Amino acid sequence: MSIRNQAVIVGIGETPTDRLGSKPGEPRKSSAEYISWAMRLALEDAGLSLKDFQGQGLGVTIPTAYPQPFWPEEVAEILGITPGLLQGGSTGGAGAVSLLGGMAAAVNSGMIDLALVCGSAAPFSEHWGGGIQPGDMRDWEIPYGTMGPNSKIAMVMRRYMHEYGATLDHFGKIAVAGRYHASLNPMAYLKKPITLDDYKNSRLVADPVRLLDCVMPANGGRAYIVASPERAKTLRKKPIHLKGFGERSNPSYGPRAGSDALVMGVKDAGKVAMEMAGVKHSEINFLELYDDYIIVVYLQIEDLGFCAKGDLSFYERTDFTFKGQLPIQTGGGMINVGQPSTAGGTLHIIEAVRQLRGEGGERQVPSAKTGLVSGLGVLPYGKNLGCCAVAILGNEA
Amino acid sequence: MAEVDVRKPLPAITNEAKPFWDAAAQNKLLMQHCKDCGAWVWTPRPLCNECGSEHIEWTAMSGKGEIYSFTVIRQVVGRAASKSFEPDIPYVVAWVDLDEGPRMISNIVGCPVDQVTLGITSVPTLLEQIQLISRQGPNVIGDDVVK
Repeated sequence: MSIRNQAVIVGIGETPTDRLGSKPGEPRKSSAEYISWAMRLALEDAGLSLKDFQGQGLGVTIPTAYPQPFWPEEVAEILGITPGLLQGGSTGGAGAVSLLGGMAAAVNSGMIDLALVCGSAAPFSEHWGGGIQPGDMRDWEIPYGTMGPNSKIAMVMRRYMHEYGATLDHFGKIAVAGRYHASLNPMAYLKKPITLDDYKNSRLVADPVRLLDCVMPANGGRAYIVASPERAKTLRKKPIHLKGFGERSNPSYGPRAGSDALVMGVKDAGKVAMEMAGVKHSEINFLELYDDYIIVVYLQIEDLGFCAKGDLSFYERTDFTFKGQLPIQTGGGMINVGQPSTAGGTLHIIEAVRQLRGEGGERQVPSAKTGLVSGLGVLPYGKNLGCCAVAILGNEA
Repeated sequence: MAEVDVRKPLPAITNEAKPFWDAAAQNKLLMQHCKDCGAWVWTPRPLCNECGSEHIEWTAMSGKGEIYSFTVIRQVVGRAASKSFEPDIPYVVAWVDLDEGPRMISNIVGCPVDQVTLGITSVPTLLEQIQLISRQGPNVIGDDVVK
């Protein structure tokens, strides 16, 4: 059963990101304030109001630091919504894209005809403390002195470089292209263009991962609104269609106890999404790929089928800027806008919607008709990313 | 690495993991092996997570493997518990692919940090370099493991 063209995005809301005090005048706001702000922006964008969402869908990404599990219900209280379907993101950073699939399926079923999906985090304004959570990390990683996600993705980056001979020159190309796009995006946090040398000389954070390989945490709020095509007819903006959706969590390539760490779940999730959408690779005009790290952008390009694994010549000859053969991270990606915890991934949906509406400003991809968005989440034991979701969006039914 | 310090964050000994740690205290490396489908299961699970069978048995490993990847930790990051690792810096965290197939996160000890490379299979004391941490009351085992 396919949900192709059965749900559309009719509103987007993105607050500025901030790192409280890193730049003059940054506000001190709570995660409640960011999520309310993002909702207000999305409602204004769509021409809808709070009352439209009573008895409808509400999806909320759950920030990693929040110490109790009822955040989605709390958000309903904060915002003043009585949802008929309340869902929390279950896929870590992929939550924003996963919730798109989930809410689209609910719209398709007729259970709801509207859904607000939102998320926020304020790691610089709020400190909830909390110790080490149960699970593999507590029992099988931390005792050996692992130092957070940077030290884990470092394993993947080093292995990739070893197997394919990739160098910092290869990785720097997309880092530079992303920052170039960020320089054209008023909402980006990091706007100063960088050179390949800037990337290569950036501080080592977890050998071989460097500072410009990594996303930075930020405060911020994000939201988007899903509607049935019927409902969208009464609204003001060009509806953006969900044409394909696929998801895989706990993906495994090879035995589960020793999965290939250079292959990502988007290999299967992307295939499902593209088949549902009925699109070929050549028909996808841009990619907004989840970018907590530069290395995972490369792995995704490969696993989505745009080139073979480790095909360095593809990276060398392809122009990834918005006017090039394969525009990527057209707003700069999360790496240059900042990541409010698990709400960060919403950025890629918002940027894709902008591009497809023709609202890409100075970085508008020419004749953008179809775009691919990915979400990734969770760094599990001995693998790459534990959750992924892929959505194909288009501006025509 | 420095003498293991009990103030470092220790694993919780869950029911499914207890046989691993009991064996580790005897300097043995055991993992679960499925009698129905032949898969190795790691980290410890209640059922075979390839086929769902409950016929998984703790089985001795050869102790041979190769370094799939590694990183050198040169700075502490994040929560307060991390600070307990500061005296060990620099040290290696590695993904070791055991010959039987499972991938194990471990430190590499007894080898200078700048000599650690991928694909080491020939370092004679590889498994002896996998330092296991056991919480059996106050006991902490050292870095020799019987093959």
